[in-house]
Amino acid sequence: MNASKRIDFDSRLSRRLLIVAQLLALLALGLGLQFLWNTTGGTVFAFSTFAPVLTGIATLILIGTLIYRFRKRHSLFDKATYEPGQEIFRQGDEGECAYFIRSGEVEVLQDDKSVARLSSGQYFGEMALIRDAPRNATVKAVSRTEVAVLGKGNFLTMLNLMPATQEDIMKTVKERALSQTAR
Amino acid sequence: MFDKHPIGIRRVFRPLAFLGIPALLPVFLRAQEKTPAFQVDPVDYYGSRFLATVIIIGIALVLYSLIRYRGRASGPLAWGLLIVGVGLVPAASSALGTVLVLERSEKVQFCESCHLTMQRYVDDLRDSKSHSLAAVHYQNRYIPDDQCYACHTSYGLFGTVEAKKEGMIDVYKYYTRTFKIPVKLRHQYPNNDCLKCHAEAAKWLTQHGDFKAQIFSGELPCMACHADKNPPHTLKY
Repeated sequence: MNASKRIDFDSRLSRRLLIVAQLLALLALGLGLQFLWNTTGGTVFAFSTFAPVLTGIATLILIGTLIYRFRKRHSLFDKATYEPGQEIFRQGDEGECAYFIRSGEVEVLQDDKSVARLSSGQYFGEMALIRDAPRNATVKAVSRTEVAVLGKGNFLTMLNLMPATQEDIMKTVKERALSQTAR
Repeated sequence: MFDKHPIGIRRVFRPLAFLGIPALLPVFLRAQEKTPAFQVDPVDYYGSRFLATVIIIGIALVLYSLIRYRGRASGPLAWGLLIVGVGLVPAASSALGTVLVLERSEKVQFCESCHLTMQRYVDDLRDSKSHSLAAVHYQNRYIPDDQCYACHTSYGLFGTVEAKKEGMIDVYKYYTRTFKIPVKLRHQYPNNDCLKCHAEAAKWLTQHGDFKAQIFSGELPCMACHADKNPPHTLKY
């Protein structure tokens, strides 16, 4: 799988997968409880056959998501391309990386209202990383957009190691926070 | 100190206590059942209570994590809950449960749970007027526990494995309704399954001493003489 596809793997999907894993685990535990409550051929068969399978699938999903999240958080300028209209992330999602626009244009929406347009040379997604909070806006590609993606860990390290960059980014964060308050 | 953490420890455990304590009540209530100590199987008694507690804690953790985070795993606590609730507890309960599955599938009540095929045999077992081999063994407590299993399982590990394998096939046939009535043994009842208890007993030697060699070699099946007192030959559906 190339870098672009890996990043396109939506964080919402990983959230849904985690919910599925939890539901599978609940089902496996429920089968155990049912077996304890009423031991019959059926409950024994269901518990001893399906519970390990459900647990296995849930664990695989959990491990897969854990690896995916880890890799995403630690991505170092992977390239990703978004088609016009494609969402890059949605308001309320978890923030795991910052995006630096290489080409194209994106639209920033808060509560479905367009609040800004960003283009080549600008960046977005940094606020959630600095504040350790969910995304406060939805970002959509307006035209075909190529971005460089920097994982949270590397982004925060970069800020620590490069004071000038930190100053620049903090200034942008402050400006964006102010304009958000003004709205 | 706790409140400095964005998701305080108290905030985690308070709802867990609300969820967990009522959920544990049935387990404690069941534990109140009065059974004479000599009739209690410690593996089943303590194992089932321990497993129930583990499972209920697991369910409480998963539910709490589902409601609190809704799939968002944004911190070490959320990941910890996920790993414990989704991975460790279900895996541990499956492993512990296997011990109880092996234990409980030896009980007469377990065989009886396949009513359509087994109920008549178990009824016969408990019928004080019955003179079938099974009823005589059961009612005189020649075999103290797990009577079906004791007589239908051969010696050693492979006997147990074979019995479990065939039992699972029987369960499958029962629930897919592919069984045939009257149920029949897959193979002739092995002499060894009688001899494992009776061989060399004084009473047995008096009655069977003359045929000992043939019975030991299997040349003369036990059922050649005792089949008429066996339920498969007397029960009517």
